[in-house]
Parts: sequence; structure tokens; C-alpha cells
Amino acid sequence: MTYPLRDRCAIAGIGATEFSKKSGRSVLALGVEASLAAIADAGMTVDDIDGIVRCDLDSLQHNDLAHALGLPELNYWGAAGVGGGAPCGMVAQAAAAVLSGQAKSVLVFRALNGRSGQRYGHGAAVSAAVGGNGSYDEYFLPHGLLSPGQMYGLVAQRHMAEFGTTSEDFAHIAIACRDRANANPNAQMHDKTLTMDDYMAGRMISDPLRVFDFCQETDGACAVVVTTAERAKDGPNPAATIRAAVQSGMPDMQGGMLFPALMRPTLTTQPSASAAAKLYERAGLGPSDIDVAQIYDCFTITVLLQLEDYGFCAKGEGGSFASSGALQLDGSLPINTAGGNLSEGYIHGLNHVVEGVRQIRGTSTSQVPDAEVCLVTSGIPVSTSAMILTKA
Amino acid sequence: MTDITLPAPVADDHDTGGYFQAAQRGELAVLFCAKCDAALHLPGPYCSSCGSLDVEWRTVSPTGTIYTWTVVEHQLHPAFPVPYTVALVEIDDVPGVRLVTHLDGRPDVEIGTPMVAVFDDVREHTVLPRWVIRDA
Ligand SMILES: [Zn+2]
Repeated sequence: MTYPLRDRCAIAGIGATEFSKKSGRSVLALGVEASLAAIADAGMTVDDIDGIVRCDLDSLQHNDLAHALGLPELNYWGAAGVGGGAPCGMVAQAAAAVLSGQAKSVLVFRALNGRSGQRYGHGAAVSAAVGGNGSYDEYFLPHGLLSPGQMYGLVAQRHMAEFGTTSEDFAHIAIACRDRANANPNAQMHDKTLTMDDYMAGRMISDPLRVFDFCQETDGACAVVVTTAERAKDGPNPAATIRAAVQSGMPDMQGGMLFPALMRPTLTTQPSASAAAKLYERAGLGPSDIDVAQIYDCFTITVLLQLEDYGFCAKGEGGSFASSGALQLDGSLPINTAGGNLSEGYIHGLNHVVEGVRQIRGTSTSQVPDAEVCLVTSGIPVSTSAMILTKA
Repeated sequence: MTDITLPAPVADDHDTGGYFQAAQRGELAVLFCAKCDAALHLPGPYCSSCGSLDVEWRTVSPTGTIYTWTVVEHQLHPAFPVPYTVALVEIDDVPGVRLVTHLDGRPDVEIGTPMVAVFDDVREHTVLPRWVIRDA
């Protein structure tokens, strides 16, 4: 059976705020700015938006944004998660809402003061007694396993041991993202270049991961408008057709927020492998059809695992693939052309969706010539989501 | 590890409390399905392999090997001064079942380093099993 969503919805508008370390504004103000930009970019007004999808970790609820924007109607709302695993799933949910007649056009947003407010990099809030209630934190936090970066240090070490992956391999991912950020005036790392020597001299945070393996902490917001492919044609800017989208867990899932994923049988294959199989089937496309990719990059190792899971190279060869130059603008798989979470900013992966649309429109600051098919992925390790955008 | 600011685990959760009760006796416990003997880890109330709700804690040998590790060099919480190492230990008796441990400093470890669990880390009257390198 043909995937019923194929090519039937599109992203008609995109919006983003400035990305900074201190916005000096409320999360609501950021969300409103990005939303208004996306709505205008779609050639719409708030009267056209009657649905909202948020990330489960967003501090804004659907009604917060609906009230602030003055939406006359709100007929659908929903959320996806966990956290960075959400963005492509948020878009998929918006498309499903549109196709099922629950809403006409849906606003998908993520807003956070990720640096000046609550910082994910600071790890779990550790109190006197930790865990319980299905969190499983009691198995992890008391031993000093506190942050996503430490968890990915464990994963990276295992990948290095199993496959001979090196720090140089991680560096090539960080450098590719930084090079793209250097061309993007809105990237947090626009003015800071990164060489192999810089990378190796970087402070070790959670060995084998250095400071340059970690994403930015960012204040900012992104938003996109999802509507029918037909309606999207009316906008002033080219729409990006949603060829296919997917949310995916994997066999032997674990509960909890993050660390329990360390108990799955393998650390080097992630839910992205399950997502890839379904996504390519739904799209009728494969990895060789992808012109450019926006790959969720909370850490460099996160990208490396997905390069394998999405079939751009064999399992275990993500390191050599990254080091081959494939990820650069003239390589076989240019990635994160706005700089990614690593160097553009951490809008929890919704910035990857926005940049995917720019590539399809031909308006990226690091445009891949003739890009017609863009893969966008969202975070691992708990569960994930992804989509393929194409020219209308 | 006697710093009183060290966080204690919640030890009376319905699904995980048995692990800490065993530790109180100086034993390492893993939850199993009483019907089909599948290890249920992280522990939960149901065996999805055979459909049984009949689960039980069983004592296992407190030996294992390092599955992976990371040396933490960036300070996050005052109770855990850097450098320290976080290791995942796979239990010898129950392949595939892993537990986390803290090790001081930057110990000389690798994948496969033999480990043994000890029960001397008491926090808020709760014993937290931890692992140390086992001498050959
Ligand atoms: Zn069973």
C-alpha cells in the first residue's frame, strides 16, 4: 500500500529568531516572533492557522501561543517527544491533522531560553533522593551519570572499541558543521572557525568527547507552517513537499527519559535504524537519492551513528565515512548546512527542519546545487523521527 | 565515598525496590520472570516474552566486566568531583544485563576489565551497590 501521506502535505512557511546566549526576552516572546515569521513566510495570517503542535519539553502550551498570537480558532493541538526526538514527528503530526480534516494549517514551533534559562547541559536536577516512579534514575544518577554528554561519552567509547572509530572522525563532523556555520550569519558560531588542531586542543568533557563534540546551548525559537500541498502552492515562497515522515522506536526499548537506553542490547545501533527502514519505504527512496541532509547533532557521535543507521555507509564505517570528506559541501552527503545544533544553535532540532526547507527552496547560506531531496532527522536515543522533503 | 551530599537512590519504588533490599543484605539482585526465566532489566512488572505477571528477584553472582566507560572531566555537581569515571558493567551471570558504577579518578580500564560489586556505599540508610576492579 502506498503511504497515504506521501506528497500530500508541505511546509509552506518557516521562521526563526536570532540565536543567542542571552535573549533577554521571555520564551513566549521568542515563540511569537518565530511563529509570526513562519506565518508571514507562508503568505498567511493568524486567521489561517487553526492548529498547533509543540515539543513535549517546551515550556509553552498550545493555549499560551494561541492566546499570544490571537488565533481566532484553535481546532487541533498536540505534542511530540521526547525532546530532540520530536521535531520531524511534530511535522508528521501536523500533516496528519491536516489530512484528517482536523485543522487547515498547523503551526509547529519550538522556543527555549536554553542558555540563559534552564540548561540541559547541566544535567539532571539532583536532590537528596533520586529516582522512582518509572524514571529509573535510581540506577544512574547516584553513580554520577548526570548528563546527556556523559551518556554519549559511554556510547562513543563503545563505538570506538567495536569499530576503531577515532577522535579525528568525530572532529570531521564538528568541522563540517562549523564550516557551514561560518557561512551562516545567524549561526552562533558564525565568527569562530574550527580546525583539526583546534578540535584536538579542545577541553575534554567526558572522555572521549571534547568540548567541540557538544552542541551549543541556545536562546531562540523556530517555527514552520504545515498545510496541504495544494494550499502551500498559494504562498509567496516555494513550499517543501513532505515526501514521507516517520516516528520510530526500536526493539527492546527502555522506559525513562534518557539513561535507560544504555540497557538496550546494542549501543551502536539506535532507533534511527528502524526509522530509516520505514522512512525509505514510505518515500519510495533510498540513501542514494538524498542530495543533502540535516542530521540531528546534539553531539558528533549522534551524527556518526545516524550516518550508519540511515544507510549512508555500513555499520561501523561512520567514522571513515565522516573522515572521507563526504559531509562537506562538495561531498556526497553535505550535512547541517546552517551549522546544526553543533554550530548554528540548539533549537532542539527544529532548526534542522527550517534549514531543510531552505535547501529545497534554494535559499541556504550553504546551498547545495540542485538540491531536490533533503533528509531531516531528529534526536536519538530514546526514540526518534525523521522526514524527507522534496521540491514541489 | 562518605560525602553526605551524595544523592541517595529512591529505594522503595514498587518496581525497583527489590534491588536495594538485596543490596541491604549484601547481595546483587536481578528481576526475572518466574515462568520463563527471562531477565527483566530494567525491572518491570510484566514479562513481555511470555506474558507473565509473575516476577521475582533472584540473587546473582556479583561479578561482571566493563562494557564501556567515560572519564568525566567537566564538573557538573559538587557531590561528584572530577575527574571520575562512569562505567557500564555487564553481569557475568546474566549476559546483557548492565549496571552503572562510579570509579574515582581515571582508572586503567578497558572493555572486558573484570569487576566485582561491593556493598559499602551507604547513603541515607540505603546501600548502593558499586563496582570495583577485580584482581585477577
Ligand atoms: Zn516470561
